[in-house]
Amino acid sequence: MPIPSHWATFVLLVSVTAPVGNVAAAEKIDFSRDILPLLSNNCFQCHGPDEEQREAELRLDVRERALADRDSGSIAIVPFKSQASAVVERITTADESERMPPPDSGNKLSDDEIARIVAWIDAGAPWGEHWAFRAPKPRQLTKPVVGWKQNNSVDHFIHISLQENGLQPEVEADRRTLIRRVTFDLTGLPPTVAQIDTFLADRRAGAYERLLDRVFASPQYGEQMARIWLDAARYGDTHGLHLDNERSIWPYREWVISAFNRNMPFDQFTIEQLAGDLLPNPTLSQRVATGFNRCNVTTSEGGSIDDEYYMRYAVDRVETTATVWLGLTAGCAACHDHKFDPLTQKEFYQLFSYFFSLTERAMDGNALLPPPTLKVPSAEQLALKTRLQDNLRIAEETIEAVFAKVAYVDPSVGVELGALTRRENIWFDDVLPEGAVKQGNGTEPWKFVSSAEHPVHSGENSSTRTADGLSQHFFTGAKSKLKIAENDRLFAYVFLDPKNPPETIQLQFNDGSWEHRAHWGADKTFGAGKNNASNRAMGELPELGKWVKLEVAAVDVGLKPGSELNGWAFTQFGGTVHWDQAGVVSASMSDKQLRSQFAWEQFRKQVKRPAVPKEVQKILDIEREKRTEDHRAKLTRYYVEHINPDTMAVVKGPIATRVAVQNQLKAVDKAIPATLVMEDRKEARQAHILERGQYTEKREAVSSAVPTWILPTAENAPANRMGLAEWLVDPSHPLTARVTVNRMWQQFFGIGIVRTSEDFGVQGEQPSHPELLDWMALRFIESGWDVKAFQKMLLMSATYRQSSRVTTAKLAADPQNRLLSRGPRFRLDGEMIRDQALAVSGLLVGRIGGKSGRPYQPDGLWKPVGFGGSNTSVFKQDHGVNLYRRSMYTFLKRTSPPPSMTTFDAPNRETCQVRRARTNTPLQALVLMNDVQFFEAARKFAERVMIEGGEQTASRLDWAFCTVTARRPSPRESARLLAMFASYQEEFRKDREAAEKILKTGESARNASLDVVDLAAWSMVTHLLLNLSETITKG
Amino acid sequence: MNPIREFNLVETRRHFFGRAAGGIGSAALASLLNGPVGHASNSASRVGGLPELPHFAPKAKRVIYLFMSGAPSQLDTWDYKPKMQDWYDKDLPDSVRNGQRITTMTSGQKRFPIAPSIFKFNQHGKHGAWVSELLPHTAGIVDDIAVLRTVNTEAINHDPAITYIQTGSQLPGRPSAGAWLSYGLGSLNENLPTFMVLHSTVNGGFGGQALYARLWGAGFLSTRHQGVSLRSNGDPVLYLSNPQGMSVQMRRRMLDELAELNRDRYEQVGDPEIRARIAQYEMAYRMQTSVPELTDISDEPAHVLDMYGPDVKKPGTFAANCLLARRMAERGVRFSQIFIRQWDQHGNLPKDIRRQCGIVDQPSAALVNDLKQRGMLDDTLVIWGGEFGRTIYCQGGLSKANYGRDHHPRCYSKWMAGGGVKPGIVYGETDDFSYNVIDKPLHLHDLNATILHCLGIDHERLTFRHQGRDFRLTDVHGKVVHDILV
Repeated sequence: MPIPSHWATFVLLVSVTAPVGNVAAAEKIDFSRDILPLLSNNCFQCHGPDEEQREAELRLDVRERALADRDSGSIAIVPFKSQASAVVERITTADESERMPPPDSGNKLSDDEIARIVAWIDAGAPWGEHWAFRAPKPRQLTKPVVGWKQNNSVDHFIHISLQENGLQPEVEADRRTLIRRVTFDLTGLPPTVAQIDTFLADRRAGAYERLLDRVFASPQYGEQMARIWLDAARYGDTHGLHLDNERSIWPYREWVISAFNRNMPFDQFTIEQLAGDLLPNPTLSQRVATGFNRCNVTTSEGGSIDDEYYMRYAVDRVETTATVWLGLTAGCAACHDHKFDPLTQKEFYQLFSYFFSLTERAMDGNALLPPPTLKVPSAEQLALKTRLQDNLRIAEETIEAVFAKVAYVDPSVGVELGALTRRENIWFDDVLPEGAVKQGNGTEPWKFVSSAEHPVHSGENSSTRTADGLSQHFFTGAKSKLKIAENDRLFAYVFLDPKNPPETIQLQFNDGSWEHRAHWGADKTFGAGKNNASNRAMGELPELGKWVKLEVAAVDVGLKPGSELNGWAFTQFGGTVHWDQAGVVSASMSDKQLRSQFAWEQFRKQVKRPAVPKEVQKILDIEREKRTEDHRAKLTRYYVEHINPDTMAVVKGPIATRVAVQNQLKAVDKAIPATLVMEDRKEARQAHILERGQYTEKREAVSSAVPTWILPTAENAPANRMGLAEWLVDPSHPLTARVTVNRMWQQFFGIGIVRTSEDFGVQGEQPSHPELLDWMALRFIESGWDVKAFQKMLLMSATYRQSSRVTTAKLAADPQNRLLSRGPRFRLDGEMIRDQALAVSGLLVGRIGGKSGRPYQPDGLWKPVGFGGSNTSVFKQDHGVNLYRRSMYTFLKRTSPPPSMTTFDAPNRETCQVRRARTNTPLQALVLMNDVQFFEAARKFAERVMIEGGEQTASRLDWAFCTVTARRPSPRESARLLAMFASYQEEFRKDREAAEKILKTGESARNASLDVVDLAAWSMVTHLLLNLSETITKG
Repeated sequence: MNPIREFNLVETRRHFFGRAAGGIGSAALASLLNGPVGHASNSASRVGGLPELPHFAPKAKRVIYLFMSGAPSQLDTWDYKPKMQDWYDKDLPDSVRNGQRITTMTSGQKRFPIAPSIFKFNQHGKHGAWVSELLPHTAGIVDDIAVLRTVNTEAINHDPAITYIQTGSQLPGRPSAGAWLSYGLGSLNENLPTFMVLHSTVNGGFGGQALYARLWGAGFLSTRHQGVSLRSNGDPVLYLSNPQGMSVQMRRRMLDELAELNRDRYEQVGDPEIRARIAQYEMAYRMQTSVPELTDISDEPAHVLDMYGPDVKKPGTFAANCLLARRMAERGVRFSQIFIRQWDQHGNLPKDIRRQCGIVDQPSAALVNDLKQRGMLDDTLVIWGGEFGRTIYCQGGLSKANYGRDHHPRCYSKWMAGGGVKPGIVYGETDDFSYNVIDKPLHLHDLNATILHCLGIDHERLTFRHQGRDFRLTDVHGKVVHDILV
């Protein structure tokens, strides 16, 4: 089709309709900025990098291919000859069946877009790489705009584009606005009235810079920066999938705070998080840092298949790492070659391979600490542990010394054992055997009594039960089991209440089954009607009102020698019964025999009881004369420590000391927090290209490697995460610095230079100020990735310091303030809004770091969604300090995140997010109006107003207003608020009860010294102040 | 409210909206504001949404989704397999399973013995649809519903499967269906959220497989599109009640002052977000009245309450939630989704499914009948079903009276009614084992495409660009199943 002659005018149109910052003449068309996005949006779906989807073998993302002769005889693009280019023919044809992009694709080129392509081809179709994949180049700055205040080069770039777009910058904001803006931006908190006054009073030059230095140095800086980073790191306090149990990775959060506060250079910050474990001799802190890539969601859902989840975890880590450092949407390439960016599927799985060989398990076991994990003791805990370890050593030395002193000599070696006596071997008395699980009828399964009114046979207590019918208490699961030997008789002591005797009493024994019973009295208990091993009839009830020993031969209840009991039941039918001391009567050694090791060894052979440790049993099994010196020493040691009453008495004390110290050590160890970390398997798990991203569809095997078209790897780079991390922070890397400075820009100015801060690829949005972005990226790298220095530069700029007020004209010209003709102005994040309320109320608990807390949350949010067996299915609110900590420490259950935060667009942290929405909804109004946290803050704020705001109502109002807005109220505002105060005062004077009631919100105590009526009226005023649009806005 | 104040507020609103048109302020109001007051259901007066939507005339204006979380057994409810009676305790033929993956809960079993349903099936309605004795009331409405027997998915576990059917992806991060509708179609009312979620108790408590906020989340769409829970305990909508001791009059006065001060500030700094903020506070105030009015069922006549059964008066029950869904539909809520859990019957299936069906049967049927009687079924789409089906083979011990069933993704049953769905049909056929689809498979993407179609949406054209890609509810799949539409 011939090109209509009026197309020449379209070429001119380019200059009029081109995006912000575009240049006028057609010959200045920038391929990356003006053409590539058109091709990408409209053509690459079928004619781009993805080989599988490619149509007609035409590829338009590579110049050689687009310019090549085609089988059809046509050429897609003929430089300088748009009329000869098949592309132009196809995008302009009236024939719908021929038209590109195809109408059913939903894409359409506008007339000026077509004109732009035509003009570009006629200019020779100059090709180029996508801007973000080229390394930033230093640029010569043109002359600054005369008459406009410039503090640094940031302003230079901004002013040039303002001038080009016919806009003027705003004047510098007043100091009150500035200190509020800076303090919120760097700490997430408002400035105090005292801080404002200090700043206002500093009339020397450099006051603003001094302000910045002070705020950058405050520890809350690290908290604010960390909170933002944790969105990207997808930090949460639960696993995220299925049971969504609690997970302990908060030491990582603490690491992030500390890293920012120490101003760790961003390259180091990167290396430690991605590969801290692979550093030579990594410190504890460097290993904690690797928690970054253990924050991903994990599962332990029954029925899940391991391979599927190994794959999903590694994919998540690639996606997150690529979004945060590369600004690339790598996830697309999990299923096929990227449709828009040159990332191939193979390259995706090469990145995947870096994260595919962890020692983690696919199923997290719903554990607090699914391995690999790391203990993270505090300095105090470390000191305590060292001290206890010293104590332990001393205790052990003492024991050795005592043993040495004992020097046991067997008095009767070689003497025959002789006759044995029968003795009671007690299994349990006041305390049940280790591991026993108490069970029974009623709310108190085992009722132990010890007072004078109750009979006790031995020790401190007995257990008792009063029943109407069949009732019992019992245990199972004892770890120290009762082993039955030949001729053993089981026994227990019983006391039947003469005032309320039972009809039946029964003993039941569990060796894995309960079918071993004996009863006394009427046959009314378990197994009634039988008289065999499962319910042996033992005759009448024993005498009432006295302790009686019940005895039954083990063999009569079906327990053969060698059986082991783990459970025991005391059963009765009616009456009141006391039970005490139970065990087995069995063949035992005499006192004399006990004092001979030789006798004990013979006894062991015969009776095989009590159980000894396996190691000791092994020695015993060896014939005496075949035992080594070591065997003999060990055996004697055991005998001395556990059997011989004389020697036992001597060593008892030191051993008890050791046990006590060991228990203390265990307690310290238990209290030491731990965190999830990265750790690679010794042998790497082989990664494969997975067809369509299906874990079952393995194709070519691949090993760890980076996409070298972005940047070649350094020589000798290790093929592990360290190699990846070092590649990312290579000073020549085109993406990392740009992506990082862009995120910081976004943090302070609301929108990034590249709005799509997560996507710098071909489909991402074009930068509003490409030269500025490049300049900043280079500057950041040259500074040694100095985060604070970079941020300070942004905050020092005149651009940042502009007033944020906006005229109708500017609003129309630049509604979103992309050109920065005014200062940044946007709603605070949810966490900042809550933290501000806590801060101004004086309730804020500023403790940095530590485990998450559970502040107020409406009832019944977790229960309707939680899995019954989950340890986060019931929300249990904390009390005291945890109600008032900063919001970044609010427990984040990912399947039901805190509503007062998500309502203000806080993410649920299931996936990496580097940009938050900023909505404005009625649900937000409801939170600020009615959340107990906010109204409590209002009433505590009111207390401060009355105490700190001076004596006069007007001065109090001034103070209150300044506390939330940093400025003084206008006369009109004052008048309105004072009138409002007066009317509420009058209302509450009439209705004191309402005043009392309104001051009850929240758990903090009310200051009783303040007048109830005034306090309630002030609370309404402060409540209003916390709801002001200005209060929740950074302006 | 004081009539003069009312007038002023309306004026204020008009003033703001008039001036904010096209600006950030009006965009920020998208899903929740500026419709007609009261029982609104006129799409001409909707707020927000994409200008090009609907793509064509919709049959349905709203959706009520009854979600059976945990996955009901199709074999004991809708997919009648009489031949299986002869297969009791025989092994599932390998040729049927055909090497398909199964969950690790049963993949270790030595045998896969067939467990025929112990429930009786009878034919109902004009076309003689087979329905289990467990669902006597629903059997009464078979002429109004389309039974879909060949719904299928790839996910074999709850978390990925329910995330999949709700968001189109097995992994977290995508918007839910309700959020897509809010984004695409906007709101039909100005007093209530446009997407609401209700959780149902079972025997007075909650339990069963977990649910996740992402199931009604907005994913990468604006958070204003996320579902708002309507709760049976505490505030029906979070933070709805004023702090103790604060009367309605005090609240009104505070909001008036707040609006004045915010307006002053707007005059100073010119930020349109301030105007939007004022409007949001007014909407919040209205919700404080409209939500309690919604949940107060004292105006429902006895014959209506009776339809839903005795549980209807117990807040939080499935029956009570079904009635609320109807009330929300009347008030212009676009999408309401009721979740009921505890359908995950790996063991003791006969006893537990009897309980579950006993809870949902009558209210589900009542909802359809109630909508029909009010002439609302034509433009209300009702959907019933879970995230996958269950296996013909037994999990755990099999006896004549008791059995359990594992997860089965390859076919299961759901039903839909109203809103453009063909009434009185049974769609699709499975094999004798209800293991594989033999005719007319209906993948969950097809189901979601069809649901969007009922609402006048071409599922391929409702997109949102995120990370450089145009995302859809149906990912890159989905075909509208015209056979089930009128």
